Amino acid sequence: MFSKKMVLIVGGVVLITVNVILLSVTSKSQSTFGFGRVGLSFVAPFQELVTCSVRFAREIWERYFFLVSASQENEDLRKSLNDAIEKNNQWNELKLANDRLRNLLNFQKSLANRVVAAEVIGKDPSAWFKTVIIDKGKADGLQKGLPVVLPQGIAGQVIEVSDRYSKVMLIIDRNSAVDALVQRSRARGIIKGASADQFRFEFVLRKNDVQVGDTVVASGFDGVYPKGLRIGQVSDLSGRNSNIFYEITVRPFVDFEKLEEVLVILRPKTEAFASGQ
Amino acid sequence: MRYCFYIGTCLLLIIFQTTVLSYFNVTRGIYDLLIPFVIFLSISLPVRECLPFILILGFIVDSLSGSPFGLYLTFYFWLLVGIRWSIKYLRAGNKLFLSLVVIVAVLIENILVMGTFAVFGPVGQLPAEAFRSIAQQTFWALFTGPLFLFSLLAISKRFNIQINGAAAAPKT
Repeated sequence: MFSKKMVLIVGGVVLITVNVILLSVTSKSQSTFGFGRVGLSFVAPFQELVTCSVRFAREIWERYFFLVSASQENEDLRKSLNDAIEKNNQWNELKLANDRLRNLLNFQKSLANRVVAAEVIGKDPSAWFKTVIIDKGKADGLQKGLPVVLPQGIAGQVIEVSDRYSKVMLIIDRNSAVDALVQRSRARGIIKGASADQFRFEFVLRKNDVQVGDTVVASGFDGVYPKGLRIGQVSDLSGRNSNIFYEITVRPFVDFEKLEEVLVILRPKTEAFASGQ
Repeated sequence: MRYCFYIGTCLLLIIFQTTVLSYFNVTRGIYDLLIPFVIFLSISLPVRECLPFILILGFIVDSLSGSPFGLYLTFYFWLLVGIRWSIKYLRAGNKLFLSLVVIVAVLIENILVMGTFAVFGPVGQLPAEAFRSIAQQTFWALFTGPLFLFSLLAISKRFNIQINGAAAAPKT
C-alpha cells in the first residue's frame, strides 16, 4: 500500500516530532520522571571508587614527593603563625564582645538546621551543564530542593536523589537562579549562573546603591536558600544609564573548580524565610 | 566476550570523564569522549546490536548530567542514524572520513545543546562563554578525536583476533 521510502520518511518525521516534544517536556520540568535515579545508582558507586583512588594517589604525591619544598614553606609558615597568634588574640577579644552583643539582641543562629556533610564523587559529563554527584542520598535524609552550601557560601541545590547518591545543580549552572540582596544597601535582584567564575546579578534597579566590592547574600525569598548565606562579590557594574536595571557581574566566593566536600542543609527553618520578608 | 569489552569501555569512559578528567585543568574544556565511542559502535556493530548500547549510554549520561533528560539519548541516537546512512555511500574504513565524522559530531552536539538553550532555556539566552567552549572542544576533537577513535578500532581488532582468531573489520 505504502512504499518503503514513504514509510521511512513518515517514521522519521514522527520520531523527530516525538523527540522534540519529549525534550521540551523534560527541559521545562527539570524532571527525569525517576529514570535519572536508575543511571545515578548504577554509575555513582564506580565514580566513588575512582574518585577515592585518585584522591589517595594525589595525597601520597602531595605528602611525600613534595617534601622537598616543604622545608622552606615550614620556615615561612612559622613566621606567618607568629603574626596569626597576635591577630588571633585581638579577634578573641572582638569575638567575646560580639558574643555578648549577640546574646543581648537575642539573635538566632542562621544555621541552626541539621546539615549533612557529603563528598563530591563526580562531575557533569558535559561542559555545558554544571552539576555534581555527591555521596549522600535518601538514606541520609536528603530530598529534592535542599540547599547545598560551603563555609564560603552557597554551592547549589539538590535536583535528583537516589538511595545513596544525589545530583546537585550548582548555582553557576545557567538554569539556576537565587533571590539575592546586596548586603550593604539591601538592593534586591536575581543571581543567575553565567560561567565557572562569575554570575549575572539581574533585575537590580538603578535607583539602588551598588558598588564594586559589595557582598551579595541570599535574600531567603526563594524558599530554598536561607537568608544571609554569602554568594559572591560585585566585580563589575555596567549598563547604559537609560536602562532601568544595572548589568552586574558577581564573582563567587566558592571555588567551583575545586569542589570536594559540601554541606547539605536538611531542613531550612521556616522562620529564616519568614524573617527575610 | 565482545560485549564485555564494549560495556567495560563504555563504563570506563563515563567514569573517566566524570571523575578523573575534572582533576586536570588542561582537560577542563574537553569534548564529550563518548562521541568517538558511539561512532566506533555505529561502524563496528550491526544496528540491532549497537542500538541498545547507544540508548543505554545516552540514558546513563542523561542521568548524570544536568541537561534536559533525553538530550544525549537524542544526540547519540541520531548520530547512529546519520553514520549508518552515510556509510551506505562512503567507505567506513576511510580514515579521513572517520576523522571528519568525529569533528562534525562534536560540532553537532554543541549546536544541539545551544539549540536546547535557545529554544527551551529559561530566558532564551546563550551562555556567555559559548564561543570559547565550542572552540576549545573543537580544538580537542581535532587533535585527539580521530586518534581516540582509531585506538578504539585497533584495540577492538586485536581483541577480536585474540577471542575469535580472526580480525573483525568495520562493517561497511
